[in-house]
Amino acid sequence: MLMNNRESLIQVNNLSKKFNGFVAVDSISFETKAGEIFGLLGPNGAGKTTTLRITSSILQPTSGSVEVCGCDVVKDSQKVRENIGILTTEIGVYDRFTGRENLAYFGELYGLGREQLDDRIEVLSKLLDMQEFLDRKAGTYSTGMKQKLAIARSIIHDPQVVILDEPTTGLDVLASLTVVDFMRMEKKAGKSVILSTHRMSDAEKLCDRVAIMHKGKLIDLDTVKGLLRKTKTVDLEEAFLKMINNK
Amino acid sequence: MRNIFIIWRKELKDALRDKRTLMAMIVMPMVLMPLIIIGMFKLIDYQMQQAEKQVVKVAVENKKNDSDLVEFISSQENLEIVNISLDLEAAVKEKAVDLAIIVPEDIEDRIKKQEVIKIEVIEHSLNDRSDIALGKVNQAVTAYNKQVLESRFKDQGISGNILSGVVIEKRDVATKEEIGGFGLGFLLPLLIVMWANVGGQYIAIDVSAGEKERKTLESLLLTPVKRLEIVFGKFLAVSTSALTSVVISLVSIYIAINQFGFKIEENIDKSVQNTASGAGGFAMDFSIEPAALLVIFAVSILLVLVFSAILLSISIFAKSYKEAQNYLGPSYMIIILPVVIVNSIPNFKPPLALFAVPAVNTILLFKEILVGAYDWGHIAITVGSLAISALLAIWTATKIYSNEKVLFRV
Ligand SMILES: Nc1ncnc2c1ncn2[C@@H]1O[C@H](COP(=O)(O)OP(=O)(O)OP(=O)(O)O)[C@@H](O)[C@H]1O
Ligand SMILES: [Mg+2]
Repeated sequence: MLMNNRESLIQVNNLSKKFNGFVAVDSISFETKAGEIFGLLGPNGAGKTTTLRITSSILQPTSGSVEVCGCDVVKDSQKVRENIGILTTEIGVYDRFTGRENLAYFGELYGLGREQLDDRIEVLSKLLDMQEFLDRKAGTYSTGMKQKLAIARSIIHDPQVVILDEPTTGLDVLASLTVVDFMRMEKKAGKSVILSTHRMSDAEKLCDRVAIMHKGKLIDLDTVKGLLRKTKTVDLEEAFLKMINNK
Repeated sequence: MRNIFIIWRKELKDALRDKRTLMAMIVMPMVLMPLIIIGMFKLIDYQMQQAEKQVVKVAVENKKNDSDLVEFISSQENLEIVNISLDLEAAVKEKAVDLAIIVPEDIEDRIKKQEVIKIEVIEHSLNDRSDIALGKVNQAVTAYNKQVLESRFKDQGISGNILSGVVIEKRDVATKEEIGGFGLGFLLPLLIVMWANVGGQYIAIDVSAGEKERKTLESLLLTPVKRLEIVFGKFLAVSTSALTSVVISLVSIYIAINQFGFKIEENIDKSVQNTASGAGGFAMDFSIEPAALLVIFAVSILLVLVFSAILLSISIFAKSYKEAQNYLGPSYMIIILPVVIVNSIPNFKPPLALFAVPAVNTILLFKEILVGAYDWGHIAITVGSLAISALLAIWTATKIYSNEKVLFRV
């Protein structure tokens, strides 16, 4: 593959994170490139969300380092946040604001001008199929509507790195497909996309490379094909189970 | 700067759409305080009037002899002489009558013979009306006594004036402005301190612990906006809300006093005379000097800033709405307590150090200024202490917003 020639957007080096002595992330290293979708898979509590939070500068690493677009997440956190868009599992929106107002607030905080912001809201609401409910108070939204709004909010500033932590939870088949399409578009646009999910079918379809995490450790990192070959299985779910159970 | 403004505007807009915050910030200070205060004064007024209007029943033994004394007693306002067939003591005990008097049968004789006359009174000290009746009977007896004495002196060819050895004439050197200032010195700090707290509380909780609970905090922290800017925007929103409450409560109190006002009795002497029958009166002038107003306003703003910063720090630390409310709820008491204590010590001369204690210094300073005493040292210490406290509290809030342990506390 030609991947190695592409620009590396995220570099994780020997990253560890401890919560009061409990090791949630145990010296992991990987890098993601522009124009690829990188999968981060692992059972509950494997340390995926923690890793992604550190990458987005919300949490501090205990040791090791992370660079996003060449900026260190600790020393240059503001620059990192400008270049990264992350959807975490902790979705919450301002219930007393409409979807549009929610997006406008974050757009302004990311420094977008009025016109730029209006355009961006138009594009995103079309892309994620939100026009119908965009001007309703977010408090009246269904789970899926909230999830879409949260996705739109996290990428309102059109960042180079897009991190989606379980973006399709709570979404129906149609809405999931919308998100899948969106990720492909971002990849085509040369962004680096990280997808953390429990839906193996999504990961299998989308991811160029997959990292498997278990109990804070990175137990394997390969293309989907490579993983299937190593485990002598035919789909990612089987491969995943085999690797987790072997540990 | 732009980010601070964006956050400030968003938080206020959000608050105005929240019924709870709206209530605490605008409706309560507008309606509640005037209602409480007017209600209090009306109640006192009403009670006084009721007390005056109450007709007390007095039973007199040996009424048949129709002496002048009984006439005097029965001519007292709202006093009724009743006939009673029961034993007098039992009647008073059972509250059939409020008071019973036993007048000696030979009273007229004794007067003529210039002998001492003894009147027995039976009261029930646990019955309020008995007290009132006793007061009225006392007045009647005093008046009657004076008449009897005057006639005795006259019989001896001496002027009745001899009875008036010493009389008291009262004059109050406290001006109406000072009395008004004293009243305001109690009311103003209480209002400002209270609404600076109440008016900021809900929004403070909503923008911090509320945001944490609704899970929007993380996405806010993910924006490139500096933590200090986030805290400042929120802090200014809390201050704006608290200041709005303070101003609204002051304006509505002012209007309430002017419109429905307390009856301001011009004549102090009259009210002193009235005290015998239980009616008090105020002679107050609630006007404030422009200079005093300026200092009060400036210090109030500073106080609002301190409170807002403290409220915000505490509710940022809390992990949920409920926890924040548990912390902030009792803060009332801590704040109101010094006001009450300072107000209840007569002629309290505060040591200089107290002017360095936030909130307490404001109360003390307002009391001084409202009676026209400007001590620039006190003003400087107060302003300095408030400014430092506000900065310290904001700095703390910023530190907390940078601490992942508190942010992701579970
Ligand atoms: N703020 C925190 N304080 C203490 N422990 C934490 C904290 N956040 C996460 N952990 C712990 O770290 C471990 C990894 O959590 P993390 O959320 O990263 O897992 P995950 O891989 O995202 O799991 P899931 O698939 O369930 O989302 C878990 O054991 C969790 O309990
Ligand atoms: Mg997770």
